[in-house]
Amino acid sequence: MKRRPSAVALAAGAGAHPAIPDLAATARRNAADRRDFLRTATLLGLSATAAYALAGLAPGTARAAAGASGGTLRISMKVQEMTDPARFDWTEKSNVARHIVEYLTMTGTDNVTRPYLAESWSASEDLKTWNFRLRRGVRWSNGDAFGAEDVAYNFRRWVDPKTGSSNKSLFSGLSAGGVEVVDRHTVRLHLSKPELAIPENLYNYPAAIVHRRFSDEGGDLSKNPVGTGPYRLAEFSIGQKAVLVRREKSAYWGPRPNPERILYIDHGDDPMAGIAAIASGQADLNYEISPDQLELVQAMPQLQLLEAATAQTAVARMRVDRPPFDKVAVRRAVQACIDHDRLLELGYRGRGAAGEDHHVAPVHPDYAALPKQRQDYALARKLLAEAGHPNGLELSIDCRSAPSWEPTTVQAMSAMCRPAGIDLKINTMPSEQYGDIWNKTPFGFTGWTHRPLGVMVLNLAYRSAAAWNESAYANSAFDRVLDRANATLDIPARRRHMAECERILQRDAVIVQPLWRSIFAVGSKNLRGYRLHPTNYHQLGGAGLG
Amino acid sequence: MLFFLLKRLGMLALTMLVVSIVVFLLLELTPGNVAAKVLGQYATAEQQRLWLEANGYFDPAFERYLRWLAKLLTGDLGESLCYKVPVGDILWPRLLNTVVLGAAVLAIMVPLSLTLGVIAGMREGRPSDRAISIISIVTTSVPEFASAAFLSALFVFALGWLPGTSAMSGGFDWRELVLPVAVLVLYDFGYVARMTRASMADVMTQPYIRTALLKGLTFRVVVLRHALRNALIAPFTVILLQVNWLLSGVIVVESFFAYKGFGALLLEASLFGDIFLIEACAMVAVVVAVVTQTLADIAYAYLSPRIRFAGGPV
Repeated sequence: MKRRPSAVALAAGAGAHPAIPDLAATARRNAADRRDFLRTATLLGLSATAAYALAGLAPGTARAAAGASGGTLRISMKVQEMTDPARFDWTEKSNVARHIVEYLTMTGTDNVTRPYLAESWSASEDLKTWNFRLRRGVRWSNGDAFGAEDVAYNFRRWVDPKTGSSNKSLFSGLSAGGVEVVDRHTVRLHLSKPELAIPENLYNYPAAIVHRRFSDEGGDLSKNPVGTGPYRLAEFSIGQKAVLVRREKSAYWGPRPNPERILYIDHGDDPMAGIAAIASGQADLNYEISPDQLELVQAMPQLQLLEAATAQTAVARMRVDRPPFDKVAVRRAVQACIDHDRLLELGYRGRGAAGEDHHVAPVHPDYAALPKQRQDYALARKLLAEAGHPNGLELSIDCRSAPSWEPTTVQAMSAMCRPAGIDLKINTMPSEQYGDIWNKTPFGFTGWTHRPLGVMVLNLAYRSAAAWNESAYANSAFDRVLDRANATLDIPARRRHMAECERILQRDAVIVQPLWRSIFAVGSKNLRGYRLHPTNYHQLGGAGLG
Repeated sequence: MLFFLLKRLGMLALTMLVVSIVVFLLLELTPGNVAAKVLGQYATAEQQRLWLEANGYFDPAFERYLRWLAKLLTGDLGESLCYKVPVGDILWPRLLNTVVLGAAVLAIMVPLSLTLGVIAGMREGRPSDRAISIISIVTTSVPEFASAAFLSALFVFALGWLPGTSAMSGGFDWRELVLPVAVLVLYDFGYVARMTRASMADVMTQPYIRTALLKGLTFRVVVLRHALRNALIAPFTVILLQVNWLLSGVIVVESFFAYKGFGALLLEASLFGDIFLIEACAMVAVVVAVVTQTLADIAYAYLSPRIRFAGGPV
């Protein structure tokens, strides 16, 4: 039976979801841990502070020591084209844009999602109707007032296939007709199926809100940088630099960020260049370093190492519709060769968690632990013989040359495959080239960024015909269980559905997932008030130089 | 002389044509989806098809090539796929940066290597010759990426004297030029010094030098008045050929120090498969190669009366 949206939730806009009292009680009894409660409650529209109080925690997350206001923050990062935020495909693009255009929600470094351009939100009991109350008094940099029409325009644009936005599969239950402007400051979404992670999805990097006339005015943010954000784009040249200057205090609705100017400097593809720039006082922060640079950075007293535990990973995924991977026995044979703990050691110096071939991370609240996988060469050989390869098999995997841990890990995988008679050849290529074939090659090693909930990445990458389904995996049974997980609010209950999703993915051997990795960046010693975000999103408001 | 220049001009045009065809064919044969690069890798297939059609990518390769060639003849280099601006807007500033880098390298490398080469060559086998020869061989054998890392470790990380990158994000700063120039000079001076030494040593064994010495002239006068002019002919052409190397051979150094020059641009364009930008870079490289060779030939003929231009009086 279709459940009606709760009158309480929808009428007040800021009203609490009916499930919140139960959740709070569960949290206090520790049946779901308090962090899980916090996350789910804030997802359902309770303010983060109120959620902390309900769960019996001290409000707020520990902030790094505050930085001083003013000055220029210089960041070493690739400066790529920045045409259309809805079509961003690299986080770096969004990092320049996110100071100009803003999001409806914001997920903190603690994985809790809070109000941003949306002041509050609420969901119906069946999680199919979502109400967003927008912040008042927000103005675009061109003087226009920000409101529901802007937000509706963005939603409709994302779900229009002509736009080519990855947001389309993120909001797969939404059609253009399902976006309703209730009043000047309220937008309602009518979804065709339950979705829990709408607020989380709204902070995904291609979901920045652009002006309602974005397309009419050229559709290029770098040429016409109209935004609600605290900075204006003063200079932009691809491959060289981007300069952002803080807007007047009266022009911006929110708290004033510390840096007066943000300067992004492109130091090219060589990661050493960024480190050298910070070490010699030419930059204050870089985008990311690889784990094999850790020792170097730790040896230099003028640098500080920034670290974040994440659900970032890379998966060796097999196209299940291409031979020889169309035979599940072949895929399972590859899987049986892998010792995941050893791969974490060899590929990432043990800094992270071992993968389990189902793309749900231990840091996800909806993660369910499954029995540990074991390396089993006898099984691998048996499976190969079953698949018609009793004398072994030659395979080739495509892999990016950078970041360096990726080819290193694939090399270790290749060595692990050899005793079973699988000769795994490695074809390394520049990232740009891999970007062309990431979803086409029969066997490829693809990097995946962090997402705060396990369901999110399963929706993006493993649901039948999803936009980023690079393995062409299509299993209606899996889709059904995933739908149930999406619709289940109660955390222990959702974990049961997730356990089933994880088991199906593991059994169908769609991917070999070596590890979950921590990420690292480098700052100068005098950088204050900055915490590395698990998705590398630059939240620089509190950052400054001490 | 005029005939020689016309012939060279013809050669230049022909070389450019051949190189442009080869580059075009190579990029044509390399797998890669141009539309995905321009529209982002998550654009829909339909969107990509529309873009390819609008930009004439469904026409036969030779048609697209001829269209590009026709535009080139009118001075239009096309638009860069990666940078989304006309190729000229990005190419000329980057080329200028490399000219600045190259000029700084030549300004230091030429006097240094000539002086060392002459000192070594005028007294062959002496300790000064041995020392200069060993230093030259050692520095030339160390590849640029190794000396770049070594110099950075020393002057950036250990001593903190110099900036580690040369992106010039705050405008021109000569301090940012020091390390890239040092690496290139270190790599190249030994080669030119060795050439100069060989040439000088050869001249010093000539009968006219012995005659001059036996005439009672001082060693200093013999070297400065008689030996030098003849000894510098060969190094001069070698130095002119270094100009060509400085244009395309600086990729490693520019990439290491994030110097925004021609070499780094060529690398980025190649990684992205930015066809018009690669073609434009190739054309510039051909022009520079042919022009420096022509200049070297002319200068050689001027310095050495034994050489005459083909077709001229014998």
